[in-house]
Amino acid sequence: MSSHVLNRCFVGWVGMSWIAGCAAVPPKELLDARKQYEVSSTGPSAKLTPTELYEAKKSLTKADEEFDANGDTQAVRDYAYIAGRKISLADAKARTEADRQKATAAAKEGVGFRDAQVKSTQTALDSSRQEVQDLQRQNQANSQELETEKRGRMSAEGKLAGAIKDLADVAAVKEEARGVVITLSGGVLFASSKDVLLRTAQTKLDQVAEALKAESEDKGIVVEGHTDSRGAETTNQELSLRRATVVRDYLVSRGVSSSKITSKGLGEGRPLVDNNTAENRANNRRVEIVVAAAP
Amino acid sequence: MVKQIIVASGLSLVGCAGAQIAPEKFEESQASIRGAEEVGANDVPAAKLHLQLAKDQTEKAKKMSAAGDPAAELMLARARSDAELAVVLSREDSIRQEAVKATEDLKTLQDRGNP
Repeated sequence: MSSHVLNRCFVGWVGMSWIAGCAAVPPKELLDARKQYEVSSTGPSAKLTPTELYEAKKSLTKADEEFDANGDTQAVRDYAYIAGRKISLADAKARTEADRQKATAAAKEGVGFRDAQVKSTQTALDSSRQEVQDLQRQNQANSQELETEKRGRMSAEGKLAGAIKDLADVAAVKEEARGVVITLSGGVLFASSKDVLLRTAQTKLDQVAEALKAESEDKGIVVEGHTDSRGAETTNQELSLRRATVVRDYLVSRGVSSSKITSKGLGEGRPLVDNNTAENRANNRRVEIVVAAAP
Repeated sequence: MVKQIIVASGLSLVGCAGAQIAPEKFEESQASIRGAEEVGANDVPAAKLHLQLAKDQTEKAKKMSAAGDPAAELMLARARSDAELAVVLSREDSIRQEAVKATEDLKTLQDRGNP
């Protein structure tokens, strides 16, 4: 066989191979891989895993080149298979990256939410703490006020007690359920059947006035006039009222608040003892100043 | 031209003689398979399939290599691509579960914070 003949045969074989290659139908693996690549290259993988997608493309190119050169061969199918796997790998990595971003975003949002909660709780706590401090300050102020008031009251009570004790020299002082009762003998205050204060009575009433002024609390004071049973009852009633009023007015003139002192005449109706002796009648003629008990 | 044919035949013989795959390449494939198993490929159905394919194709490549089949190399490459895909699918499953949990945790937190 001459070289010319051999050359002709070789050219003929190459030509036939080329025609066969052109006529060959791409295998399913190659078609699938091309389609898969087309989808992935326009999806998230193109953005999230471009390197992996590029590796897949290289395998696909090899498959295409092999097919272009030799038609449907096992190598074409192998390269197409590998390209398909690499595309799947790129897609899976892209999905994983998307999931990772989602998890990170959720975690970040959670941290932000917790921070906001902590801040809100802290604000509420600060507010409560401030409230507690305000209340404590208020309580302290109230306690101090109470203490001051208590001291003031004790002081006033002390002064009153002292003043009342001093009164014992000029009047009988008794503690009764209705209050402190200061009893002044009618004979000491007024001339018989008169309602004009004796000069000596004024000195005694000055002491009484001082004692009553020492009473700082707003207690009511009643001046009661009493007589013995001699004479007409009506006359006694009127006399007792006039005397009580004279005493009341005198005390007011000495500084006792007019708004808290009143007078009333009780006549002969409430004797201390029987009116059967001169001494007893003298005891029944009296003026009582009642300082009402604390409510 | 005769010379060309003789040279081509010689190259072909050399090709047959070189069809045996180097043991290191099998080792690489085995390492990929072990890696997939370690990340839990057997517990993820999609990953498990590719793991199995990788194993089968590795065995096939061994036999082909022993028989001097030049296609053994590509068969081993197929096995490796399946093993690598098995690894990525296993990780994907694990990350997806983390994402789902993070989203649920956030929802629970928000629900609890906003009664």
